[in-house]
Amino acid sequence: MKLLMFALAFWLGASLFNSWLAARFSHRRWAQLFVPALFGVTLLVLWEGVVAGFAISPVILPAPSAIVARFAQSTALLWGDFAQTILKGALAGYLLGCGAAIVTAIVIDRSPFLQRGLMPVGNFVAALPIVGIAPILVMWFGFDWQSKAAVVVLMVFFPVLVNMVAGLKATDHLQRDLMKTYSASYRDTLFKLRLPAAMPFLFNGLKIATTLALIGAIVAEFFGSPTRGMGFRISTAVGQLDMPLVWSEIAVAALAGSGFFGAMALLERLVTFWHPSQRAR
Amino acid sequence: MKKFLIGAALAALTAGSASAEEVKLQLKWVTQAQFAGYYVAQEKGFYDEEGLEVTIMPGGPDISPTQVMAGGGADVTVDWMPSALAAREKGLDLVNIAQPFKSSGMMLTCLKETGIKGPEDFKGKTLGVWFGGNEYPFLSWMATLGIPTDGSEGGVTVLKQGFNVDPLLQKQAACISTMTYNEYWQVIDAGLAPEDLVTFKYEDEGVATLEDGLYVMGDKLADPAFKAKMVKFVRASMKGWKYAEANPDEAAGIVLENDESGAQTETHQKRMMGEIAKLTAGSQGALDPADYERTVKILLGGGSDPVISKAPEGAYTLEITDEALK
Repeated sequence: MKLLMFALAFWLGASLFNSWLAARFSHRRWAQLFVPALFGVTLLVLWEGVVAGFAISPVILPAPSAIVARFAQSTALLWGDFAQTILKGALAGYLLGCGAAIVTAIVIDRSPFLQRGLMPVGNFVAALPIVGIAPILVMWFGFDWQSKAAVVVLMVFFPVLVNMVAGLKATDHLQRDLMKTYSASYRDTLFKLRLPAAMPFLFNGLKIATTLALIGAIVAEFFGSPTRGMGFRISTAVGQLDMPLVWSEIAVAALAGSGFFGAMALLERLVTFWHPSQRAR
Repeated sequence: MKKFLIGAALAALTAGSASAEEVKLQLKWVTQAQFAGYYVAQEKGFYDEEGLEVTIMPGGPDISPTQVMAGGGADVTVDWMPSALAAREKGLDLVNIAQPFKSSGMMLTCLKETGIKGPEDFKGKTLGVWFGGNEYPFLSWMATLGIPTDGSEGGVTVLKQGFNVDPLLQKQAACISTMTYNEYWQVIDAGLAPEDLVTFKYEDEGVATLEDGLYVMGDKLADPAFKAKMVKFVRASMKGWKYAEANPDEAAGIVLENDESGAQTETHQKRMMGEIAKLTAGSQGALDPADYERTVKILLGGGSDPVISKAPEGAYTLEITDEALK
C-alpha cells in the first residue's frame, strides 16, 4: 500500500511540476525533452505502484522492475530474437517490398494500361488477411526468416505503391511542359523533376511501412518458426506464463519500431530538405 | 439447436427458484472427442442430476488455459500436467483435482525415408514441436536422451510446428509431434501409409507425462462450498467419460452436435473417440500418485534446462475424487 501511496504522490507532484515547466519554459529545448521524459517515468512509477499496491499477480501484469530485471538477465536471448526477426525478417522484407513498390509505381506511371490493371491487383493483395497468408507463405518459403520476409513484402508493398504512384503525379503540367521546352528526355524528367517531387509522398509510405514490417515479421512467426525470433518468444513465453519476458520482447519491439521510424524520418529530412514542410522547422 | 432452445427456456423458467450451481469449464483445445466426457455429461443430463449448470468453453491455438485461469475466467480447466506444473512454478497455484486420462497419447511421427529407426537417429534432424505449454514433454524426453535442442553440434533442430501436419508432408521436418487420436490420422488421411511412418509413443519410450487432467486454483479449494461443487462436477464428468468410453459412436455424435465451428467430421470424431477411449481406460478419475511422481521425475530430469526446477508441493489433491467416487 505504501508503494501505491508513493506512486500517487509522485504522479501528482510530477504533473504539477510538468505543467509549471510547460507554462514557463515551453520554448526551451531542454524543457521540450524533459517534460515528456518525466511523463514517461511517471507512468512507470504509477504502474509499479498499482501492481505492488493491489498485489496484482505477475501472470496478469508484471511490475516494470520485474520486466527490467528479466530484460537485463536475458539480453543475449533478446538480441538473438532481434537479429532473427528484425534484422533478417523485417528488414529484408522491407527493402524488397519497398524497392519492388517503387519500381512498380514507375512502371505503372508509364503505362495507362497497367494503371487500370495493376492498382486493383495491388489493392486486392493488400486486403488479404495476414493470418490467412502467413501459414501459406511458411509452407512455400520454409520456417526460417525467408517466409517472414515474404509476409513483410506483401504488407509493405501496397502502402508504398499507392504513395509512390500519387507522388509521381505530384508534378503539374506547367512543370512538365517546362522540361519539354528544355528538350529533356523521359529519363531526365523522371530523375530531375518527378522523382524529387515524389519524395515527400514516398517517405510517407516508407514511414507507414516501418511499423507494418515489424508487425508482419512478428505475427508471421506465430505460424511456424525455428526456436528463435520475437514472435516465437512471445507466443511460447505466454504459454509458459513468463510475462516479464513477453514484456521485454514488447519493449524491444517498441524500441526497434521507434528507432526504425525515427531513422526514416531523419532520412526524409536529409532527402527532402527543400520541401516546405521540412523548411518550416 | 432445438434442444438448446428448450434448455434455455427451461433455464429461464427455473432461474427464479432454482439454485443450479454454475461451473465454467475451460477446455485445453477446440471442441473434439478429446473432451467427449464433458459434452456427454452435459448432453445426458449428468450435470443436471447433480444440480450443476456447466458452461463448456472450447480452447484453441490462441487460448492458453492457464492464462484463462489466472485471469479468473474459469472455475476449472483441462490441462496437461507439465504445463500446469510449469505454470505452478511461475506462481499460478493450479491444483489437480482429477485425472480422467490414464495414458499419454503423444508421439513423434517420422518419415521412414529419413532413415530414422530409433531415438539415437534424431541427431542432426529437424523435429517439429508444439509450443505454448505442449513442448515440455518433448524437451524432457530429449534431455533424458542427452540430445541438445538449442541448435548446437550433435543436437536436433527444433521447429515451432503449427497445429497441422504440413511440415511432415512438405518434408520440412523429419518428424513431427502428433497425438494418437488426432494428427496421426491427418497424416494418414493426407495419403501416407502407416508403413511409410515410424512412430515413437512417449508412453513406450518411458517418458510419458500425464495429459488431460482437471485443475482448479488452489486458493478456491479452501472454500468448502467450492469443494462440494467440484465433487459433484468430477462425479458427473467421470460418469460422462465412462459413458463415452462404452458408447463411442454416440459420444462422437454428441461432440459433433456441440462443435459450433462445424470444423469436425464424423469419421474423424468417431476414430478420435476410439483412440481417446484407450487413453481414459483404466482411470476412474482419481489421480494415481505413482503416475504423478513419474511425471514430476521426468520433468525434473531435464538436464541443463529442466521444465521445473524443484519438486512441487500440493500440486494435487485426492480429496475431491475420494469424495466423488466413493
